[in-house]
Amino acid sequence: MEYSLAVERHFAAPKKARELPAGMAGLVAGEAEDRTLHVWVRFQLQIVDGVVAAAGFQAFGCPHTVAAASVVAEWLEGRLVDAARKLDVKTVCAELEVPTEKLGKLLRIEDAVAACWRSEQ
Amino acid sequence: MSSREIYLDYAATAPLDPQVAAAMYECMTSEHGNPSSSHAAGRRARALVEAARAAVGARVGAPSECLIFTSGATESNNLALSGVLRRSRNRRVHLVTSRIEHKSVLDVARMLEASGVAVTYVPATEGGWIEPGRVVEAIDADTQLVSIMHVNNETGVIQDIETIGEACRARGVLFHVDAAQGVGKLPLTLATAPIDLCSLTAHKVCGPKGVGALYVAPRVTLVPQLHGGEQERSLRAGTLATHQIVGMGKAYELADPVREAPRLAALRDRLWRELGAIDGVRQNGDPARRAAHVLNVAFRGVDGESLRYALRGVCVSAGSACAADSPEASHVLTGMGLSDVLAGGALRFSVGRFTTEDEVVSAAARVAAAVALLRSLARNAPAWCSA
Repeated sequence: MEYSLAVERHFAAPKKARELPAGMAGLVAGEAEDRTLHVWVRFQLQIVDGVVAAAGFQAFGCPHTVAAASVVAEWLEGRLVDAARKLDVKTVCAELEVPTEKLGKLLRIEDAVAACWRSEQ
Repeated sequence: MSSREIYLDYAATAPLDPQVAAAMYECMTSEHGNPSSSHAAGRRARALVEAARAAVGARVGAPSECLIFTSGATESNNLALSGVLRRSRNRRVHLVTSRIEHKSVLDVARMLEASGVAVTYVPATEGGWIEPGRVVEAIDADTQLVSIMHVNNETGVIQDIETIGEACRARGVLFHVDAAQGVGKLPLTLATAPIDLCSLTAHKVCGPKGVGALYVAPRVTLVPQLHGGEQERSLRAGTLATHQIVGMGKAYELADPVREAPRLAALRDRLWRELGAIDGVRQNGDPARRAAHVLNVAFRGVDGESLRYALRGVCVSAGSACAADSPEASHVLTGMGLSDVLAGGALRFSVGRFTTEDEVVSAAARVAAAVALLRSLARNAPAWCSA
Protein backbone atom coordinates (compact mmCIF):
# COMPACT_ATOMS: atom_id res chain seq x y z
CA MET A 1 0.00 0.00 0.00
CA GLU A 2 1.34 3.40 -0.97
CA TYR A 3 0.60 6.48 1.13
CA SER A 4 0.82 10.13 0.08
CA LEU A 5 3.07 12.60 1.84
CA ALA A 6 -0.04 14.25 3.29
CA VAL A 7 -1.13 10.94 4.83
CA GLU A 8 2.38 10.43 6.16
CA ARG A 9 2.42 13.88 7.74
CA HIS A 10 -0.99 13.58 9.41
CA PHE A 11 -0.40 9.99 10.55
CA ALA A 12 2.96 10.86 12.11
CA ALA A 13 1.49 13.81 14.02
CA PRO A 14 -2.33 13.71 14.01
CA LYS A 15 -3.98 17.08 14.65
CA LYS A 16 -6.64 17.24 17.37
CA ALA A 17 -6.21 13.59 18.36
CA ARG A 18 -7.51 14.14 21.85
CA GLU A 19 -10.40 13.73 24.21
CA LEU A 20 -12.12 16.98 25.20
CA PRO A 21 -13.02 17.28 28.92
CA ALA A 22 -16.42 15.76 29.64
CA GLY A 23 -17.81 18.79 31.48
CA MET A 24 -16.92 21.28 28.76
CA ALA A 25 -19.80 23.64 27.87
CA GLY A 26 -21.41 23.05 24.48
CA LEU A 27 -19.77 19.65 24.02
CA VAL A 28 -21.32 17.23 21.54
CA ALA A 29 -20.01 13.83 20.52
CA GLY A 30 -20.72 11.29 17.83
CA GLU A 31 -19.20 8.07 16.64
CA ALA A 32 -19.50 5.61 13.78
CA GLU A 33 -18.03 2.23 12.96
CA ASP A 34 -17.94 -0.57 10.45
CA ARG A 35 -16.76 -3.80 11.98
CA THR A 36 -16.34 -5.50 8.66
CA LEU A 37 -13.98 -2.75 7.54
CA HIS A 38 -12.21 -2.59 10.93
CA VAL A 39 -12.89 1.10 11.43
CA TRP A 40 -14.24 3.13 14.36
CA VAL A 41 -14.21 6.92 14.64
CA ARG A 42 -15.34 9.23 17.44
CA PHE A 43 -15.56 13.01 17.21
CA GLN A 44 -16.14 15.56 19.95
CA LEU A 45 -17.00 19.15 19.11
CA GLN A 46 -17.45 22.13 21.37
CA ILE A 47 -20.07 24.44 19.92
CA VAL A 48 -20.03 28.02 21.17
CA ASP A 49 -22.25 30.67 19.60
CA GLY A 50 -22.69 28.76 16.36
CA VAL A 51 -18.98 28.12 15.95
CA VAL A 52 -16.98 24.91 16.40
CA ALA A 53 -14.73 26.23 19.14
CA ALA A 54 -12.82 22.98 19.62
CA ALA A 55 -12.63 19.58 17.93
CA GLY A 56 -11.13 16.29 18.95
CA PHE A 57 -11.12 12.81 17.50
CA GLN A 58 -10.21 9.24 18.27
CA ALA A 59 -9.86 6.52 15.67
CA PHE A 60 -9.21 2.83 15.24
CA GLY A 61 -8.35 2.14 11.64
CA CYS A 62 -5.86 2.33 8.83
CA PRO A 63 -3.40 5.19 8.26
CA HIS A 64 -5.78 6.81 5.78
CA THR A 65 -8.53 6.84 8.42
CA VAL A 66 -6.26 8.44 11.03
CA ALA A 67 -4.94 11.01 8.57
CA ALA A 68 -8.39 11.89 7.26
CA ALA A 69 -9.80 12.25 10.77
CA SER A 70 -6.90 14.57 11.55
CA VAL A 71 -7.62 16.70 8.47
CA VAL A 72 -11.33 16.83 9.26
CA ALA A 73 -10.80 17.77 12.91
CA GLU A 74 -8.46 20.54 11.91
CA TRP A 75 -10.92 21.73 9.25
CA LEU A 76 -13.85 21.75 11.67
CA GLU A 77 -12.23 23.78 14.43
CA GLY A 78 -13.02 27.47 14.13
CA ARG A 79 -15.63 26.94 11.44
CA LEU A 80 -19.23 28.17 11.60
CA VAL A 81 -21.55 25.26 12.35
CA ASP A 82 -23.55 25.88 9.17
CA ALA A 83 -20.38 25.57 7.12
CA ALA A 84 -19.10 22.63 9.15
CA ARG A 85 -22.28 20.71 8.44
CA LYS A 86 -21.29 20.72 4.78
CA LEU A 87 -18.28 18.48 5.43
CA ASP A 88 -17.56 16.32 2.40
CA VAL A 89 -15.09 13.54 3.16
CA LYS A 90 -14.61 12.87 -0.54
CA THR A 91 -12.82 16.20 -0.79
CA VAL A 92 -10.54 15.15 2.06
CA CYS A 93 -9.90 11.83 0.30
CA ALA A 94 -8.81 13.69 -2.81
CA GLU A 95 -6.51 15.92 -0.76
CA LEU A 96 -4.90 12.89 0.87
CA GLU A 97 -4.84 10.83 -2.37
CA VAL A 98 -6.78 8.05 -0.69
CA PRO A 99 -7.35 4.97 -2.89
CA THR A 100 -10.95 4.48 -3.97
CA GLU A 101 -11.26 1.20 -2.09
CA LYS A 102 -10.70 3.06 1.19
CA LEU A 103 -13.64 5.44 0.69
CA GLY A 104 -16.01 3.12 2.55
CA LYS A 105 -13.86 3.39 5.68
CA LEU A 106 -13.45 7.12 5.47
CA LEU A 107 -17.17 7.77 5.07
CA ARG A 108 -17.46 6.67 8.69
CA ILE A 109 -15.75 9.95 9.57
CA GLU A 110 -18.57 11.82 7.90
CA ASP A 111 -21.04 9.61 9.80
CA ALA A 112 -19.34 10.35 13.13
CA VAL A 113 -19.46 14.09 12.52
CA ALA A 114 -23.09 13.82 11.43
CA ALA A 115 -23.77 12.01 14.71
CA CYS A 116 -22.34 15.04 16.51
CA TRP A 117 -24.89 17.31 14.82
CA ARG A 118 -27.66 14.91 15.77
CA SER A 119 -26.58 14.93 19.41
CA GLU A 120 -26.52 18.74 19.31
CA GLN A 121 -30.25 18.69 18.54
CA MET B 1 19.30 -0.79 3.10
CA SER B 2 19.44 2.36 5.23
CA SER B 3 21.39 2.28 8.49
CA ARG B 4 18.18 2.68 10.49
CA GLU B 5 16.33 -0.14 8.78
CA ILE B 6 16.01 -3.39 10.71
CA TYR B 7 15.31 -6.48 8.66
CA LEU B 8 13.29 -9.10 10.56
CA ASP B 9 11.56 -10.81 7.66
CA TYR B 10 13.79 -13.80 6.94
CA ALA B 11 10.74 -16.03 6.54
CA ALA B 12 9.79 -13.92 3.53
CA THR B 13 13.27 -13.98 2.09
CA ALA B 14 16.81 -13.75 3.39
CA PRO B 15 19.70 -11.54 2.26
CA LEU B 16 22.15 -13.23 -0.05
CA ASP B 17 25.15 -14.59 1.85
CA PRO B 18 28.36 -13.03 0.46
CA GLN B 19 29.83 -16.51 0.01
CA VAL B 20 26.83 -17.45 -2.11
CA ALA B 21 27.14 -14.24 -4.14
CA ALA B 22 30.84 -14.98 -4.73
CA ALA B 23 30.09 -18.51 -5.96
CA MET B 24 27.38 -17.20 -8.29
CA TYR B 25 29.60 -14.42 -9.61
CA GLU B 26 32.36 -16.88 -10.33
CA CYS B 27 29.91 -19.07 -12.23
CA MET B 28 28.35 -16.22 -14.18
CA THR B 29 31.67 -14.78 -15.26
CA SER B 30 33.57 -17.97 -15.99
CA GLU B 31 31.09 -20.63 -17.05
CA HIS B 32 28.58 -19.86 -19.77
CA GLY B 33 27.94 -23.33 -21.15
CA ASN B 34 24.56 -24.97 -21.30
CA PRO B 35 24.63 -27.92 -18.87
CA SER B 36 22.78 -30.00 -21.46
CA SER B 37 25.46 -29.50 -24.13
CA SER B 38 27.96 -32.27 -24.68
CA HIS B 39 30.96 -30.08 -25.48
CA ALA B 40 33.58 -29.06 -22.91
CA ALA B 41 31.85 -25.85 -21.77
CA GLY B 42 28.60 -27.74 -21.35
CA ARG B 43 30.30 -30.50 -19.40
CA ARG B 44 31.88 -27.97 -17.04
CA ALA B 45 28.48 -26.36 -16.44
CA ARG B 46 26.95 -29.81 -15.91
CA ALA B 47 29.64 -30.56 -13.33
CA LEU B 48 28.73 -27.38 -11.44
CA VAL B 49 25.06 -28.32 -11.49
CA GLU B 50 25.79 -31.80 -10.22
CA ALA B 51 28.06 -30.49 -7.46
CA ALA B 52 25.26 -28.19 -6.36
CA ARG B 53 22.78 -31.03 -6.50
CA ALA B 54 25.07 -33.06 -4.26
CA ALA B 55 25.35 -30.16 -1.81
CA VAL B 56 21.58 -29.78 -1.63
CA GLY B 57 21.23 -33.54 -1.25
CA ALA B 58 23.76 -33.59 1.56
CA ARG B 59 21.85 -30.90 3.48
CA VAL B 60 18.49 -32.65 3.23
CA GLY B 61 19.79 -36.22 3.44
CA ALA B 62 18.69 -37.20 -0.04
CA PRO B 63 20.46 -38.96 -2.91
CA SER B 64 21.23 -36.22 -5.39
CA GLU B 65 19.59 -38.15 -8.24
CA CYS B 66 16.26 -37.68 -6.43
CA LEU B 67 16.41 -33.89 -6.70
CA ILE B 68 14.82 -31.92 -9.54
CA PHE B 69 15.80 -28.27 -9.83
CA THR B 70 12.89 -25.86 -10.23
CA SER B 71 12.34 -22.10 -10.02
CA GLY B 72 11.46 -22.32 -6.32
CA ALA B 73 9.14 -23.92 -3.80
CA THR B 74 6.03 -22.58 -5.51
CA GLU B 75 6.89 -24.45 -8.71
CA SER B 76 7.92 -27.49 -6.68
CA ASN B 77 4.55 -27.49 -4.91
CA ASN B 78 2.74 -27.15 -8.24
CA LEU B 79 4.75 -30.02 -9.72
CA ALA B 80 4.22 -32.25 -6.69
CA LEU B 81 0.47 -31.79 -6.43
CA SER B 82 -0.45 -31.59 -10.09
CA GLY B 83 2.20 -34.13 -11.03
CA VAL B 84 0.64 -36.77 -8.79
CA LEU B 85 -3.03 -35.92 -9.08
CA ARG B 86 -3.09 -35.57 -12.83
CA ARG B 87 -1.67 -39.05 -13.34
CA SER B 88 -5.09 -40.63 -13.08
CA ARG B 89 -7.90 -40.02 -15.53
CA ASN B 90 -11.50 -41.19 -15.38
CA ARG B 91 -11.51 -42.09 -11.71
CA ARG B 92 -12.03 -40.24 -8.45
CA VAL B 93 -8.82 -39.02 -6.88
CA HIS B 94 -8.50 -37.40 -3.50
CA LEU B 95 -6.01 -34.99 -1.94
CA VAL B 96 -5.64 -34.33 1.78
CA THR B 97 -4.03 -31.10 2.84
CA SER B 98 -4.51 -28.53 5.61
CA ARG B 99 -6.19 -25.15 5.85
CA ILE B 100 -2.95 -23.46 6.87
CA GLU B 101 -0.76 -24.44 3.93
CA HIS B 102 1.03 -21.85 1.85
CA LYS B 103 -0.95 -20.35 -1.02
CA SER B 104 1.19 -22.26 -3.49
CA VAL B 105 -0.39 -25.45 -2.14
CA LEU B 106 -3.89 -24.14 -1.41
CA ASP B 107 -4.30 -22.42 -4.76
CA VAL B 108 -3.16 -25.54 -6.61
CA ALA B 109 -5.55 -27.62 -4.50
CA ARG B 110 -8.42 -25.31 -5.42
CA MET B 111 -7.46 -25.46 -9.09
CA LEU B 112 -7.37 -29.26 -8.93
CA GLU B 113 -10.69 -29.25 -7.09
CA ALA B 114 -12.20 -27.23 -9.94
CA SER B 115 -11.00 -29.91 -12.34
CA GLY B 116 -12.67 -32.71 -10.39
CA VAL B 117 -10.15 -33.73 -7.72
CA ALA B 118 -11.72 -34.24 -4.29
CA VAL B 119 -9.87 -32.26 -1.62
CA THR B 120 -10.08 -32.40 2.17
CA TYR B 121 -8.70 -29.40 4.06
CA VAL B 122 -7.82 -30.48 7.59
CA PRO B 123 -8.20 -27.69 10.20
CA ALA B 124 -5.45 -26.62 12.56
CA THR B 125 -5.66 -26.45 16.31
CA GLU B 126 -5.67 -23.08 18.08
CA GLY B 127 -1.93 -23.56 18.44
CA GLY B 128 -1.52 -23.85 14.67
CA TRP B 129 -0.78 -27.56 14.75
CA ILE B 130 -2.15 -30.17 12.39
CA GLU B 131 -3.13 -33.19 14.45
CA PRO B 132 -1.85 -36.28 12.63
CA GLY B 133 -5.02 -38.15 13.64
CA ARG B 134 -7.16 -35.64 11.73
CA VAL B 135 -5.07 -36.20 8.63
CA VAL B 136 -5.35 -39.97 8.94
CA GLU B 137 -9.13 -39.71 9.41
CA ALA B 138 -9.36 -37.78 6.16
CA ILE B 139 -7.59 -40.46 4.10
CA ASP B 140 -9.96 -42.64 2.08
CA ALA B 141 -9.65 -45.36 -0.55
CA ASP B 142 -9.19 -42.78 -3.33
CA THR B 143 -6.56 -40.67 -1.57
CA GLN B 144 -3.45 -40.45 -3.70
CA LEU B 145 -1.61 -37.67 -1.94
CA VAL B 146 -1.31 -35.97 1.43
CA SER B 147 0.42 -32.57 1.45
CA ILE B 148 1.43 -31.01 4.78
CA MET B 149 4.07 -28.35 5.31
CA HIS B 150 7.05 -28.94 7.59
CA VAL B 151 7.15 -25.50 9.25
CA ASN B 152 4.28 -23.06 8.92
CA ASN B 153 5.48 -19.91 7.20
CA GLU B 154 3.40 -17.57 9.36
CA THR B 155 3.61 -19.06 12.84
CA GLY B 156 6.75 -21.20 12.62
CA VAL B 157 4.85 -24.17 14.06
CA ILE B 158 6.55 -27.48 13.21
CA GLN B 159 4.18 -30.15 11.96
CA ASP B 160 4.59 -33.82 12.84
CA ILE B 161 5.61 -34.96 9.36
CA GLU B 162 7.15 -38.16 10.69
CA THR B 163 3.87 -39.48 12.13
CA ILE B 164 1.80 -38.28 9.19
CA GLY B 165 4.28 -39.78 6.74
CA GLU B 166 4.29 -43.16 8.51
CA ALA B 167 0.49 -43.23 8.40
CA CYS B 168 0.52 -42.40 4.69
CA ARG B 169 3.11 -45.08 3.98
CA ALA B 170 1.08 -47.70 5.88
CA ARG B 171 -1.90 -46.87 3.64
CA GLY B 172 -0.01 -46.68 0.36
CA VAL B 173 -0.63 -42.94 0.02
CA LEU B 174 2.07 -40.58 -1.25
CA PHE B 175 3.19 -37.86 1.17
CA HIS B 176 4.39 -34.41 0.06
CA VAL B 177 6.06 -31.94 2.40
CA ASP B 178 6.59 -28.25 1.67
CA ALA B 179 9.88 -27.72 3.52
CA ALA B 180 10.57 -24.17 2.34
CA GLN B 181 10.66 -22.82 5.91
CA GLY B 182 12.27 -25.79 7.59
CA VAL B 183 15.57 -26.13 5.77
CA GLY B 184 18.48 -24.72 7.70
CA LYS B 185 16.46 -24.57 10.89
CA LEU B 186 15.65 -28.24 11.36
CA PRO B 187 17.57 -31.32 10.25
CA LEU B 188 16.03 -33.34 7.43
CA THR B 189 16.96 -36.82 6.26
CA LEU B 190 14.70 -37.42 3.32
CA ALA B 191 16.26 -40.75 2.32
CA THR B 192 15.02 -42.40 5.50
CA ALA B 193 11.98 -40.21 6.27
CA PRO B 194 8.52 -41.40 5.20
CA ILE B 195 8.36 -38.61 2.65
CA ASP B 196 7.83 -39.10 -1.07
CA LEU B 197 7.99 -35.55 -2.32
CA CYS B 198 9.57 -32.51 -0.69
CA SER B 199 9.65 -28.90 -1.90
CA LEU B 200 12.78 -26.85 -1.27
CA THR B 201 13.85 -23.30 -1.98
CA ALA B 202 17.12 -21.37 -1.86
CA HIS B 203 16.18 -17.84 -0.90
CA LYS B 204 14.99 -18.60 2.64
CA VAL B 205 18.52 -19.72 3.55
CA CYS B 206 20.49 -16.77 2.17
CA GLY B 207 20.54 -18.19 -1.34
CA PRO B 208 19.28 -16.60 -4.55
CA LYS B 209 15.62 -16.11 -5.39
CA GLY B 210 14.26 -17.98 -8.38
CA VAL B 211 15.66 -21.43 -7.71
CA GLY B 212 14.44 -24.39 -5.73
CA ALA B 213 14.13 -28.13 -5.95
CA LEU B 214 11.69 -30.96 -5.61
CA TYR B 215 12.77 -34.18 -3.94
CA VAL B 216 11.13 -37.12 -5.70
CA ALA B 217 11.63 -40.43 -3.95
CA PRO B 218 12.60 -43.45 -6.05
CA ARG B 219 9.66 -45.15 -7.78
CA VAL B 220 7.41 -42.06 -7.48
CA THR B 221 6.12 -41.06 -10.90
CA LEU B 222 4.93 -37.57 -11.81
CA VAL B 223 3.28 -35.99 -14.80
CA PRO B 224 5.54 -33.10 -15.87
CA GLN B 225 3.99 -29.65 -15.79
CA LEU B 226 6.48 -27.95 -18.10
CA HIS B 227 7.17 -29.29 -21.56
CA GLY B 228 9.84 -28.52 -24.13
CA GLY B 229 12.95 -30.43 -23.18
CA GLU B 230 14.28 -33.47 -21.39
CA GLN B 231 16.10 -31.69 -18.59
CA GLU B 232 15.76 -32.95 -15.04
CA ARG B 233 14.74 -36.48 -15.98
CA SER B 234 12.10 -35.02 -18.31
CA LEU B 235 10.21 -33.76 -15.27
CA ARG B 236 11.06 -30.10 -15.67
CA ALA B 237 11.83 -28.78 -19.14
CA GLY B 238 13.96 -25.68 -19.60
CA THR B 239 17.63 -24.72 -19.71
CA LEU B 240 19.07 -25.05 -16.24
CA ALA B 241 19.97 -21.73 -14.57
CA THR B 242 23.50 -22.78 -13.71
CA HIS B 243 24.46 -19.75 -11.61
CA GLN B 244 21.21 -19.94 -9.63
CA ILE B 245 21.73 -23.63 -8.99
CA VAL B 246 25.33 -23.01 -7.93
CA GLY B 247 24.01 -20.39 -5.51
CA MET B 248 21.48 -22.82 -4.10
CA GLY B 249 24.19 -25.43 -3.64
CA LYS B 250 26.40 -22.99 -1.75
CA ALA B 251 23.47 -21.74 0.35
CA TYR B 252 22.55 -25.29 1.36
CA GLU B 253 26.17 -26.06 2.17
CA LEU B 254 26.14 -23.13 4.61
CA ALA B 255 22.64 -23.68 6.06
CA ASP B 256 23.57 -25.87 8.99
CA PRO B 257 20.70 -26.10 11.50
CA VAL B 258 22.95 -27.46 14.22
CA ARG B 259 25.06 -24.30 14.06
CA GLU B 260 22.36 -21.73 13.29
CA ALA B 261 19.18 -22.80 15.07
CA PRO B 262 20.35 -22.22 18.67
CA ARG B 263 21.49 -18.69 17.85
CA LEU B 264 18.22 -17.94 16.04
CA ALA B 265 16.16 -19.34 18.92
CA ALA B 266 18.06 -17.13 21.37
CA LEU B 267 17.37 -14.05 19.23
CA ARG B 268 13.69 -14.97 18.87
CA ASP B 269 13.36 -15.54 22.62
CA ARG B 270 15.07 -12.23 23.36
CA LEU B 271 12.62 -10.51 21.02
CA TRP B 272 9.71 -12.15 22.82
CA ARG B 273 11.04 -11.11 26.23
CA GLU B 274 10.94 -7.52 25.01
CA LEU B 275 7.59 -7.70 23.20
CA GLY B 276 5.96 -9.78 25.91
CA ALA B 277 6.16 -6.78 28.24
CA ILE B 278 3.61 -4.92 26.10
CA ASP B 279 0.04 -5.13 27.42
CA GLY B 280 -2.41 -7.12 25.33
CA VAL B 281 0.16 -9.00 23.29
CA ARG B 282 -0.12 -12.69 22.48
CA GLN B 283 2.00 -15.22 20.63
CA ASN B 284 0.33 -17.02 17.77
CA GLY B 285 1.38 -20.61 17.38
CA ASP B 286 2.26 -23.14 20.03
CA PRO B 287 5.65 -22.02 21.45
CA ALA B 288 6.49 -25.63 22.30
CA ARG B 289 6.30 -26.68 18.65
CA ARG B 290 7.93 -23.74 16.94
CA ALA B 291 10.95 -23.44 14.67
CA ALA B 292 13.80 -21.22 15.82
CA HIS B 293 13.40 -18.28 13.48
CA VAL B 294 9.73 -17.20 13.62
CA LEU B 295 7.77 -15.23 16.20
CA ASN B 296 4.18 -14.31 15.34
CA VAL B 297 2.49 -11.90 17.71
CA ALA B 298 -0.80 -10.04 17.80
CA PHE B 299 -1.55 -6.82 19.64
CA ARG B 300 -5.05 -6.19 20.92
CA GLY B 301 -6.60 -2.82 20.16
CA VAL B 302 -4.28 -1.96 17.30
CA ASP B 303 -5.11 -1.84 13.59
CA GLY B 304 -2.63 -4.00 11.71
CA GLU B 305 -2.17 -1.75 8.70
CA SER B 306 -1.51 1.26 10.90
CA LEU B 307 0.92 -0.73 13.04
CA ARG B 308 2.90 -1.86 10.01
CA TYR B 309 2.90 1.67 8.65
CA ALA B 310 4.09 3.06 11.96
CA LEU B 311 6.94 0.53 11.85
CA ARG B 312 8.22 1.48 8.42
CA GLY B 313 11.85 1.18 9.49
CA VAL B 314 11.34 -2.35 10.79
CA CYS B 315 10.84 -4.89 8.02
CA VAL B 316 8.29 -7.44 9.23
CA SER B 317 5.28 -9.11 7.63
CA ALA B 318 1.61 -9.23 8.48
CA GLY B 319 1.66 -12.88 7.51
CA SER B 320 2.84 -14.50 4.35
CA ALA B 321 4.71 -12.10 2.09
CA CYS B 322 3.07 -13.96 -0.79
CA ALA B 323 -0.29 -12.55 0.34
CA ALA B 324 0.93 -9.14 1.45
CA ASP B 325 -1.24 -7.26 -1.04
CA SER B 326 -4.40 -8.99 0.13
CA PRO B 327 -6.65 -6.89 2.41
CA GLU B 328 -7.94 -10.06 4.05
CA ALA B 329 -6.67 -11.27 7.39
CA SER B 330 -4.26 -14.21 7.33
CA HIS B 331 -6.04 -17.47 6.52
CA VAL B 332 -3.56 -19.20 8.82
CA LEU B 333 -4.38 -17.10 11.87
CA THR B 334 -8.13 -17.04 11.30
CA GLY B 335 -7.88 -20.80 10.71
CA MET B 336 -6.39 -21.00 14.22
CA GLY B 337 -9.43 -19.21 15.64
CA LEU B 338 -8.24 -15.58 15.79
CA SER B 339 -10.80 -12.88 14.96
CA ASP B 340 -10.29 -10.93 11.73
CA VAL B 341 -9.34 -7.85 13.74
CA LEU B 342 -6.77 -9.61 15.91
CA ALA B 343 -5.34 -11.55 12.97
CA GLY B 344 -5.14 -8.27 11.06
CA GLY B 345 -3.06 -6.80 13.87
CA ALA B 346 -0.56 -9.65 13.89
CA LEU B 347 3.08 -9.26 12.97
CA ARG B 348 5.44 -12.01 11.90
CA PHE B 349 9.01 -11.40 13.00
CA SER B 350 11.62 -13.74 11.58
CA VAL B 351 15.29 -13.64 12.40
CA GLY B 352 18.20 -14.98 10.40
CA ARG B 353 21.91 -15.30 9.85
CA PHE B 354 22.71 -11.59 9.95
CA THR B 355 20.29 -10.51 12.68
CA THR B 356 21.88 -9.06 15.80
CA GLU B 357 20.65 -8.81 19.38
CA ASP B 358 20.81 -5.01 19.19
CA GLU B 359 18.45 -5.15 16.23
CA VAL B 360 15.81 -7.23 17.97
CA VAL B 361 15.94 -5.04 21.08
CA SER B 362 15.69 -1.87 19.02
CA ALA B 363 12.85 -3.31 16.91
CA ALA B 364 10.92 -4.25 20.04
CA ALA B 365 11.28 -0.73 21.41
CA ARG B 366 9.92 0.69 18.15
CA VAL B 367 7.00 -1.74 18.25
CA ALA B 368 6.19 -0.78 21.84
CA ALA B 369 6.18 2.91 20.92
CA ALA B 370 3.98 2.33 17.86
CA VAL B 371 1.48 0.23 19.80
CA ALA B 372 1.27 2.86 22.54
CA LEU B 373 0.70 5.62 20.00
CA LEU B 374 -2.05 3.76 18.16
CA ARG B 375 -3.79 2.76 21.38
CA SER B 376 -3.72 6.38 22.53
CA LEU B 377 -5.60 7.31 19.34
CA ALA B 378 -8.32 4.75 20.08
CA ARG B 379 -8.60 5.01 23.85
CA ASN B 380 -12.39 4.70 23.95
CA ALA B 381 -12.76 2.26 21.07
CA PRO B 382 -15.43 -0.43 21.42
CA ALA B 383 -14.58 -3.91 22.61
CA TRP B 384 -14.55 -5.47 19.13
CA CYS B 385 -11.43 -3.45 18.27
CA SER B 386 -9.58 -5.51 20.89
CA ALA B 387 -11.35 -8.83 20.45
